[in-house]
Amino acid sequence: MSNSAPPAIGGACGQGLCGGKCKEILREGVWGNNPISIQILGVCSALAVTNKLENSIVMGVALIFVCAMSNLLVSLLRNATPRRIRMIAEVAIIATFVIVFDLFLKAFYFEMSKSLGPYVGLIITNCIVMGRAEAYALRNPPMMAVVDGVANGLGYAAVLVIIGFFRELIGSGKLLDIVVLSDNWYIPNQMMILAPGAFLALGFLIALANYIKPRQEEETK
Amino acid sequence: MRLLLGILDRVRPIFEDGGKLRPMKPVFDATENFFYAPSARTQNAPHIRDPLDLKRFMSMVIIGLAPCVVAAFYFFGLRMLAMIVVSYAAGGAVEMLFAVVRKEEINEGFLVTGLIFPLILPPGLPLWIVAVGVAFGVLVGKEIFGGTGRNPFNPALVGRCFLVLGYPGVMSATYIVPGSGPLGRLTEYVGVEAMTRATPLAEAKQGVVAPIADLFWGNVTGSAGETAAIAIIVGGVFLVLTRVANWRTVAGIIGSFTVLGLVLHYARPDDFAPVGWHLLAGGLLFGAFFMATDPVTSPITNGGKWAYAVIIGAATLLIRNLTGYVEGMMFAILLGNIAAPVLDDVAVRLRLRRLQHEG
Repeated sequence: MSNSAPPAIGGACGQGLCGGKCKEILREGVWGNNPISIQILGVCSALAVTNKLENSIVMGVALIFVCAMSNLLVSLLRNATPRRIRMIAEVAIIATFVIVFDLFLKAFYFEMSKSLGPYVGLIITNCIVMGRAEAYALRNPPMMAVVDGVANGLGYAAVLVIIGFFRELIGSGKLLDIVVLSDNWYIPNQMMILAPGAFLALGFLIALANYIKPRQEEETK
Repeated sequence: MRLLLGILDRVRPIFEDGGKLRPMKPVFDATENFFYAPSARTQNAPHIRDPLDLKRFMSMVIIGLAPCVVAAFYFFGLRMLAMIVVSYAAGGAVEMLFAVVRKEEINEGFLVTGLIFPLILPPGLPLWIVAVGVAFGVLVGKEIFGGTGRNPFNPALVGRCFLVLGYPGVMSATYIVPGSGPLGRLTEYVGVEAMTRATPLAEAKQGVVAPIADLFWGNVTGSAGETAAIAIIVGGVFLVLTRVANWRTVAGIIGSFTVLGLVLHYARPDDFAPVGWHLLAGGLLFGAFFMATDPVTSPITNGGKWAYAVIIGAATLLIRNLTGYVEGMMFAILLGNIAAPVLDDVAVRLRLRRLQHEG
């Protein structure tokens, strides 16, 4: 999870468009300033949907999509948006993309849509999306805003996938609904798929990130 | 004995600064302390002379637990020995790991946690679950908060709570029927292949009420150390008399439980069993004497202790009778543990305000 900026996206913006800052933005979003493990934002959905790896992946994809698209649009309109109504404008833009994704799930992956319940719709209120629009997209050109949105979405998705992996594996002995630990000998720990398991897993993850990060920074100094 | 001392003195340099096994020094210290008083002397002031140190304190609790341990062996057999050994080994490993990493001493507090933990578990529980539970309890209940003295929760109860939530099926299906006769199960090693049975509190929900005499002498199933009320009372009174367990906590829990139980029994006799029966059933007495009185996780002020005890007593009765859980003592004590710092704070503020008014 540390410094692996996916090269595909890094190549897309090349030189010029985002001033070569691409890698740095990605690094910040995924690790250095990870929205969940460092800023402790968006925790509600990270706790609620991570009882299965599949749900975590879909939720992560949803956030990457919404965050990138809303950042793009907010950034494009940043000079046309009057300052006093910018918040309402941001919410309207975010809500649009959330609804797009929600309808997409309902149309093509109905089962998944049902199992995620209200949490896709609740991305509208996710502090990460709103936070990035407000803190980044409003002041930066569109390309960089998109990269920032993707980076933060990736950071969120990475945490969800890690938590979902361990909760599904320990809590039901499966991964992506395929039995990994056979119930001939493995007794699943049911707490991991309930709420306390989510808090524990997230707590351990944040503790681990906080243990590694200062050491890393000391090394680079 | 001199032989042992000789060995300890001979290997000491390996563990001192510059020795090969320096990181393992906590293990050496713990071994030495276990057999002898430590050889190190305090170098600097202040020197406090007090007969009661942590080690003595914990030894007292172990002595207080002895009757319960004997009762557990009698009723549930030699399997208890295996559970105690596993509990000490798995919990001790976590404890040792943290001591070595932190370069601290191994704390005597674990001697009590490791012994109490098997006593609050179903006597037929698979040994690997015992190991997982105690490791989790020591890690999450104690070490990540900074070790003995800094833990907000009772580590043994954190471990048990983890098992109750994680393996509810296994937990409720491993209550072995107790042995009887002059030797009980003292010569047997039985696991779940022996007959199991629901605990008295679980049966009471189906309308089967165990006789009070059985609850008193321990001839019922339940967590290993909690069944024989007489053994708990003997050991518990010893702890209260030596002031290792604070009498306010014990009296507050039993008192509030009794008063609330009486009121509710007369108001709704169908829903609430008689209070005398409830007092002896389940883990109430064991929790009140041995777990709620833990000096680290209970309040320091006397006012705080009373409030804490009332919370535990009342919560236990309500959880037992009004929720899907049959036993509430564990949750009640953990709730009390959460409230403890706040209760202390309130007690101190009230005291300050009164002093200001007087002064």
